Amino acid sequence: MKRISTDMSNQDMQYHMRLREYRMNDLQNKMGEQKRIQRLRDDPIGAARAVQLESKIGRAQQFYKNVETVQGNLRIAETYLRSAVEIVQRVRELAVQGANDTYTKQDKQFMAEEINQLLNELVEIGNARLPDGSTIFSGDRIQTIPFRTLSGRVEGASSEVITQVDYIGSLARNEAEISEQSFIETSLPGGSILWAEQQQIFGERDATNFQVLEDASLFIDGKEIPLLAGDNISAVVAKINDAGLAVRANLDPVKNSLVLSSTVPHQLWVEDASGGTVLQDLGIITGHGKPPHNLSKEAVVSGGSIFDMVIYLRNALYKGDTVEIGGGALKGLDNGISNLLTSLTKLGAQDERLTTVANRIDYELPELQNQYAQETGLDLTSAIMELKMLEYTHKAALQTAARILPPTLLDYLR
Amino acid sequence: MQSTFSSLEAGKRSLLAHTQGMATLGHNLSNASTEGYSRQRVELKPTDPLYIPGLNRANTPGQIGQGVDVQSISRVRDELLESRIVSRANGQGYWEARDKYILMLEQVHNEPSENSVRTLLDKFWESWQELSLYPAEISHRKAVLERGNALMEGIHGRYNSLSEIREMAELEIQVTVERVNRLTSDIASLNEQIVKVKAMGDNPNDLLDRRDLLVKELSGLVNITVDTRDGDEYTIHTEGLHLVQGKVVTPLGLEIDINNDGFSKIIWQNRNEEADIKGGRLGALVQLRDGDIREEIQNLDLMSVHLIDLVNEIHTKGYGLNGETGQPFFVEYPFVVNRLGNYDGDGDGAFDSTYIFRVNGVNTLNPEDHLGIAGTMRIPGKTGLIEIPYYPTDTVKDVINRINNSGAEVGARLNTEGKLSLKATPSFQKENPDFVIRHLEDSGEFLAGYAGVLASSGEEGSFSWNEPDAILSFRGGEQSFQVAPLAHPSGWIEVNKTLLNNPAALAAGFGINGRPANAGDGNAALAIAGVRNQEVMIGFSKTFDQYFADSVASVGLKGETAARALETENLILKDLEDLRQSISGVNIDEELAQMIKFQHGYAAASRFITEVNKMLDTIINRMGV
Repeated sequence: MKRISTDMSNQDMQYHMRLREYRMNDLQNKMGEQKRIQRLRDDPIGAARAVQLESKIGRAQQFYKNVETVQGNLRIAETYLRSAVEIVQRVRELAVQGANDTYTKQDKQFMAEEINQLLNELVEIGNARLPDGSTIFSGDRIQTIPFRTLSGRVEGASSEVITQVDYIGSLARNEAEISEQSFIETSLPGGSILWAEQQQIFGERDATNFQVLEDASLFIDGKEIPLLAGDNISAVVAKINDAGLAVRANLDPVKNSLVLSSTVPHQLWVEDASGGTVLQDLGIITGHGKPPHNLSKEAVVSGGSIFDMVIYLRNALYKGDTVEIGGGALKGLDNGISNLLTSLTKLGAQDERLTTVANRIDYELPELQNQYAQETGLDLTSAIMELKMLEYTHKAALQTAARILPPTLLDYLR
Repeated sequence: MQSTFSSLEAGKRSLLAHTQGMATLGHNLSNASTEGYSRQRVELKPTDPLYIPGLNRANTPGQIGQGVDVQSISRVRDELLESRIVSRANGQGYWEARDKYILMLEQVHNEPSENSVRTLLDKFWESWQELSLYPAEISHRKAVLERGNALMEGIHGRYNSLSEIREMAELEIQVTVERVNRLTSDIASLNEQIVKVKAMGDNPNDLLDRRDLLVKELSGLVNITVDTRDGDEYTIHTEGLHLVQGKVVTPLGLEIDINNDGFSKIIWQNRNEEADIKGGRLGALVQLRDGDIREEIQNLDLMSVHLIDLVNEIHTKGYGLNGETGQPFFVEYPFVVNRLGNYDGDGDGAFDSTYIFRVNGVNTLNPEDHLGIAGTMRIPGKTGLIEIPYYPTDTVKDVINRINNSGAEVGARLNTEGKLSLKATPSFQKENPDFVIRHLEDSGEFLAGYAGVLASSGEEGSFSWNEPDAILSFRGGEQSFQVAPLAHPSGWIEVNKTLLNNPAALAAGFGINGRPANAGDGNAALAIAGVRNQEVMIGFSKTFDQYFADSVASVGLKGETAARALETENLILKDLEDLRQSISGVNIDEELAQMIKFQHGYAAASRFITEVNKMLDTIINRMGV
């Protein structure tokens, strides 16, 4: 291409100038925003990675918040439970003292008074609340107190005292997500934690010829257990036992009736799914009401809460009945204390798990943020260098153009 | 015997020729910066000399030259180079249009930044997490609703931007078609004039230049080939059909296409057939409007549809603080109000199709179970049906993955109850509606008895959308299927007004055994927050995170390709242009030098005439006096 037309030099200069100006503008914008990826086309794969990283960072921060909240709540619950343990241990001391026949009836009544005060304190602990006003030990019924008291007269007491403590919270489990698809239990139902004895429900009806007539479900401790038409009582027992609950079912050897017992001390909640009548037909529940108040009058229920144990002990001391004190009451208290200690251990373990997760997120977050910055951040040094080079080239090109474009032959023709 | 005044003739001819030369030169100088101008040269040739062999030949030594004549005024240009430029201009037009629009699509994504739809969605999921920790709070419910509203605005905003871009493409198509028609009619009239001028033996240089310029512009708009084999008929073809033939033009026209959201399709006006323009600006615009931009909108719709479906599936089962249940979180507008999905597609008054978006199986499946049965499923793909086989040793998860990886326009997953859930995706072809399952068939028992989707196997038990009451082929009842949503869910997606008016109705817990959830029950909120991480199969992406990453990457890659291709085309075209300039461009210095030559020639000719005049003067005035 030996022949150069006048237009061509001009056009060439304009073309290259435009290219340079575009590059300079692009760099300026990137430097202004400190971003390497200004448009998706600058680095599509990098942008895709950056987008995923950013979402992950947001999630990690949310999980950290969750961990902090749950840990705070569980620690508060822990302090209350520790007080409860101290109280029940003091009651036990008094029980051991009272079992000793050397004390007079008057002395025993004084001890009963002390236990009465401790009982009131224990009920206060059971109904304790978190700073935001929700009750700690009521499962998911966090706007109502879990333990309802009935007062009345008891033989030997000088005034009205608490005669019965019912658990009116729920057994439902609540969870919080503390890591990708990883959950931790946050609910502390009083019907499990503040329970002392294994609960047992003895049905009274003979179940040898029992058969499920149509597909139905049972709800035990809130979990649904589906039954199929044609299941006999052994199948029902097997399905309950395989459900992974802290409940065991078996047949009473004498009466051939269904017996449900807890394997970890807690209040059993049983009901039929709407439309079914299996438990009703087996004589365990009436068809009305909701657990735990739906148990049939025929069924024999045993096993009580810590409150039941303390009330039993106190009433015995009021009456002055040494025999009652030494036997069942003490055993019940021991069970209650060991259950409380188990809960405390579990809380401790959960606290440890939460701390571990928090530490891990603490470590992970800066790493993720670092990766994100690497992916999207601009390397200022090289950007400035490039801008300087472009400026320099630009100046040189303009100067050269100014020298060669203007002169034509016209300037020299006379 | 030569004439006395013949030298004067020669001188006169020289003057005229040199004047012609100057005139052409002046023309060149004036047009030095005109676009598409090729420098013209005066071809001088000596006049026919005397004497040609014949009977009336004078008996003098010959041949005697008679001076100079202008043979022709012709353009200096390379025809082959011109046709190369025409074909490359096509590529440049295509990529220029594509680059511009894809840049707009990239900007709509607004990534990576804190103001994109993705970040709004992240904040939405976070608000559900917070609610799961504090399920009794009204303030947290309000936060969920606020974040939900912000997300709706984000999605609507993006949908509107994309629709606007599509409208812009449509307008540009209309304008470009008009321009094409104008260009072709201009070229045709030029053809007519050029033929007339050529018939006189002249070179219509400027007309030819103008025509070449128009042809180059036209080739940027549509892909054309020029045919100059027949000297009288200058023909331009596109896609094998005539666009211009001599002075006859086949104009393009526009017709509204109801299958395509009311946008127009390009037709040949006199033949009423669709014109399939593939290249050039027009081809790029059509591809963008019906391909890339439409896909972006479909992508957004896909996300919206899944968001609605997944959140509502959980929320309707949950209970609010006020004990209410069954409230959807997002409003659902079905395509047809008919509960069975029946629809009258051709407007003849009778139902002829069934529009179903999702169908669930009846049986609870375990993903790790081996099937123990074999068969082949036939499921709609991009074009036609895809056959998906399954074998006795496959697990349920294997079959689901096979369906999802097969490129079928149906996505499969196991929902929260463990049942097989089949959902339709947007359709590739414009004629098929988005989010409608078109066909389900299974030669074996997987879809029929095993998962409980179809009532029976084989062809008789298959589900097809182009018959009314097709839902009778399903095994489950009305609860198992969902009517297709109204077109473009991302345009109408909204939070349920009932919840906005009464935040206490927002569900956070599931409750037990049909009893309303207690105040502290946050399991439903937790389940909804968990939707974010689960493999919910949005089209081909497994989770929401992957969906966003995939869409960002795909648009970014398109943009990268377009930018590179445009740069390449620009460079190639520039090189060709430079070559053309080198051959046909005006160099002012050269012209000025030529001008000196002609000046001298003119001066010499006048001098010659003066001298001859003096000689004649001697004869006329002074001989024999």
